[in-house]
Amino acid sequence: MHNFTKELVDDLADKLLIGLTDDENKLILNEFNIIDETMELITKIPNISEVTPMTHALDDQTYTPRADEKEESIKIEDILANCDFYEGREIKVPKVVGGE
Amino acid sequence: MNYIKTIEELHEMLTNGEVTSEELVQDSLKKAHLVNDKCHAFVTLLDDAKGGFVTDDLLSGLPYGIKDNYSTKGILSTGSSNTLKDYVPFFSATAVLNLEKHNVIPIGKTAMDEFGMGGTGTTAHTGNILNPWDLKRMAGGSSSGSAASVAAGVYPFALGSDTGDSIRKPAAFCGIVGYKPTYGMISRYGLFPFASSLDHCGCLTRSVKDAAIVVDAMKGQDKNDLTSWDSSSIHLYDSLDGKVKGKKLFYIKEIVNMENYPDASSELKEHLDNFHKTLKLLEEEGVSVDEVSIDRDLINAIFSVYQCLSCAEATSNMSNLTGIIFGPRGEGKNINEMMKDHRTKGFSSLIKRRFVIGSYVLQKENQEKYFVNAQRVRRLIVDKMNELFQKYDALIMPVSTGPAPYIDGSKDEITKDNTTNLEEHLQIGNFGGFPSITIPNGFVSNLPVGINITGKCYDDVNVLNIAYALESKMPYKNQIAPLLKEEDYE
Repeated sequence: MHNFTKELVDDLADKLLIGLTDDENKLILNEFNIIDETMELITKIPNISEVTPMTHALDDQTYTPRADEKEESIKIEDILANCDFYEGREIKVPKVVGGE
Repeated sequence: MNYIKTIEELHEMLTNGEVTSEELVQDSLKKAHLVNDKCHAFVTLLDDAKGGFVTDDLLSGLPYGIKDNYSTKGILSTGSSNTLKDYVPFFSATAVLNLEKHNVIPIGKTAMDEFGMGGTGTTAHTGNILNPWDLKRMAGGSSSGSAASVAAGVYPFALGSDTGDSIRKPAAFCGIVGYKPTYGMISRYGLFPFASSLDHCGCLTRSVKDAAIVVDAMKGQDKNDLTSWDSSSIHLYDSLDGKVKGKKLFYIKEIVNMENYPDASSELKEHLDNFHKTLKLLEEEGVSVDEVSIDRDLINAIFSVYQCLSCAEATSNMSNLTGIIFGPRGEGKNINEMMKDHRTKGFSSLIKRRFVIGSYVLQKENQEKYFVNAQRVRRLIVDKMNELFQKYDALIMPVSTGPAPYIDGSKDEITKDNTTNLEEHLQIGNFGGFPSITIPNGFVSNLPVGINITGKCYDDVNVLNIAYALESKMPYKNQIAPLLKEEDYE
């Protein structure tokens, strides 16, 4: 069994850019323990490590890339219509580089 | 005039002049407002909706509802989340565009569990979505508003999405039909992604035939969704003949047998008794139903496999909800603080918890034990089902542990007791992309309960036919919840 702690949960939440209340943190700890308990059982399924992981609902499909043809792109005016911060035809975003 | 009719009946009324599309749309809007006041079933009501052209197309001129996680051009699409509370897409989902070609008229966007991540209808930013059969009970989720509004007779159908059971469980709780076709039959382009490998589009209706008509109109290969496939040779509505003699079905002993539940509530006992009585109706039609045993370790793993996979995929899919690209900007001195402020205030507690679990199982040191093992068990479960589908035409199972639970005291938390497998088994349908339909099969405590039929991939016609035949043996087709007054339906 894994040792789940409040600090671990807070660290994960911080990486996700999410703040948690103490109650939320406690709930997650309970939920972790339930999932962990079942996943422990899964590891005991014989030869589980030899099973090929299933990554998608249908793995019998063949995918054909669409034709490499030029298509009309979305109009900038349509995009700006749903945007709170812009100047002229350019979207304004917060400063990312160079600190605060 | 009473418009609680099937799609075929409404089409006949429209074509013989008994009613106009405009009258249907206005009637639908009137009822939608009444239902919204009582059940909080809608995020947006499109009061300026007008009637449309009526053609030979069965769907033409009919009003309908769209779950709020379908992108709709020029119409607010929030996914019932504060993080997108003002988001108006500049394009529509392919499924919505496909329906538009049939001249249907959307009259509202239905409320749901936030981004589809919940099964109670209690995490929408517009408030708890209530069951029209009993306002103290939940509608189920996540397609809660779609189920509640169809069950209350607002219109004949609404769109839903299903990642774990989000069409099929609310359908059961609200006494209607919920159908998710084989994965990829309907394009997911424009559906807000929750867990892409499990997400399905589908519909909620009041009859199996209506579900076939609606999905016929929604489906089709889409260059914008590479997981969609060519279903042009499949005609669901035209293929319904109710001929099921000689079909072989099975149910899973480890989930259905009463001996699994020594402390069963009276509602659970009644629900399982009713399930077995329903099987006898099929047997009268020449269908055989076998009890099949499956490795209990696999059955017990369903719920955790679902949590690991869905939370992990959701964490990744929703990492773009930062308030920078989508949604209102958060406050803060720098971009990280702004994003954290937006996400902390915008997401409900449930979603935040799911994200943390998703992030944990994806951490490099945990991936093998949790995420990859969950994918492995997913394959074992799907392989087992496909092995059984070699011998049987479909799996038939009761939905949930009985009727809709009370809202008070309900928690959308990960818990585990001996009824968990009965609550969560519909997730098998998402693991394998199997076509799966829930239909009402009676009442427990004066509330509707449902039964589910799931078949092998691409065999939607067979699944619908079994459901169609069973529906015709029971008196629940096109039933509505007694929410509104008699005169509201006239």
